[in-house]
Amino acid sequence: MAGGGDLKLLGVWTSPYVIRVRVALNLKSLPYEYVEENLGSKSALLLASNPVHKTVPVLLHGGRPVNESQVILQYIDEVYASNGPSVLPADPYERAAARFWAAYVDDKVGAAWQGMLFTCRTEEERAAAVARAVAALQTLEGALEECSKGKAFFGGDAIGFVDVVLGGYLGWFGAVDKMIGRRVIDPAKTPLLARWEERFRAAEAAKGVVPDDADKMLEFLPTLLALSAPKSK
Amino acid sequence: MEKAAAEKAAPLELLGSWASSYTHRVQLALRLKGLEFEYAEEDLGSKSDALLRHNPVYKKVPVLVLPDGRALAESAVILHYLDDAFPAARQLLPADPFDRAVARFWCHFSDDKLGPAVGAVFASTGEEQEAAVRQVHENLALLEAELREGAFKGRRFFGGDEVGFLDVVLGCGSYWLAVFEEVTGVQLVDAEAFPLFHAWLRDFEAQEEVRETIPSVDRLLDYARGLRQMLLAMAGGAGAAAPADAPTAALPAPATADIAVDI
Repeated sequence: MAGGGDLKLLGVWTSPYVIRVRVALNLKSLPYEYVEENLGSKSALLLASNPVHKTVPVLLHGGRPVNESQVILQYIDEVYASNGPSVLPADPYERAAARFWAAYVDDKVGAAWQGMLFTCRTEEERAAAVARAVAALQTLEGALEECSKGKAFFGGDAIGFVDVVLGGYLGWFGAVDKMIGRRVIDPAKTPLLARWEERFRAAEAAKGVVPDDADKMLEFLPTLLALSAPKSK
Repeated sequence: MEKAAAEKAAPLELLGSWASSYTHRVQLALRLKGLEFEYAEEDLGSKSDALLRHNPVYKKVPVLVLPDGRALAESAVILHYLDDAFPAARQLLPADPFDRAVARFWCHFSDDKLGPAVGAVFASTGEEQEAAVRQVHENLALLEAELREGAFKGRRFFGGDEVGFLDVVLGCGSYWLAVFEEVTGVQLVDAEAFPLFHAWLRDFEAQEEVRETIPSVDRLLDYARGLRQMLLAMAGGAGAAAPADAPTAALPAPATADIAVDI
């Protein structure tokens, strides 16, 4: 088992970008110290570790910081290659496809997520952002069909890179569902993704890190809005 | 590539645009790796069926079409693919996982922060432009600091002794800096304020493969002047938003004003 250096993760429990890293660490059964950051009063360690963006997640490995969630995911895959399955596939083309779709998720779903929670000023704007997310999810429905080849996840039988990246948003989708009275991942529009969501949430690696208490998230939302801090990607 | 192998399968094909920094990244990467490829110039005002078929999600260049007909889009994705698919060829990403993480981080910085800031300078005037220039200088200062005392201390290139992934990513946008300076009359890279970045860019542009890839300054200047006129004429909103979709656009938008995701 690859070791050599402690792992510490600086995060915020609601951040999609932090959640995805925690799922990845769980998939590799890697022990780590988790530090919940107060975004209103960021720790000296966070500011020193990510001086450019000052955002979470930050993964510290033997004290050295790795920043940006998709960068962290690849780092974990590469360093702990012998600790169980990789989230990225082995085949070069499939790796590229996974990177492409992961980038798409953060580009389209991520931007819409920001809009539906943090930058919208009216319910109309929120609805418009949700519509943008739904459109992106419809594209991802096709990608899921293609990448999964009939299996449970984008990564096939096991959770993969795209699964982890998209899965990070599920906590907030649950909260938004409650706010607007209908589902962002609508089983009528994106049936494969709706079933995918159930499977992802039920996975061992997601337990305790993908939030399932929408009320708790909605209670925390005003705190985040007050900070108006852009999240790391 | 051996002649026998080259005759067996169609070579790699790159769909691109001559003024696109993202296209240049892939062209440069292929040349650095010694990989044969065919290049097809896309008219971004009238996109080919092939482009629309191969990149239905973004409909953008560059697109790398493989010998088996499958295609890849997004320059950073393509660069990673070339390392993975051709392990015997020169690798652009560093070998060490931590160094790879650092290179990827600064690639995102280039695409998410520096590139858009430079684009904003180019698309604006007056106070708005002054604010954008300050942003560019803040971003360059961060890179300068990494070259001076941080992750890239003591290196000739971001990749070390030789050009690597981050050089390709940063370099293929940075040649626009001098062009934009000329066209807007604004100074972006002051050799005194950013000596290491300045020296790096000069060394990068002197590389043989880079000189083969980057278009001539005259062509770039012509293009930039035309684009600036168009952007200023359109200005009234956020000038940097998708000029390539404007009906009057016969000119492809430069990559720095392009808001495509490249991770």
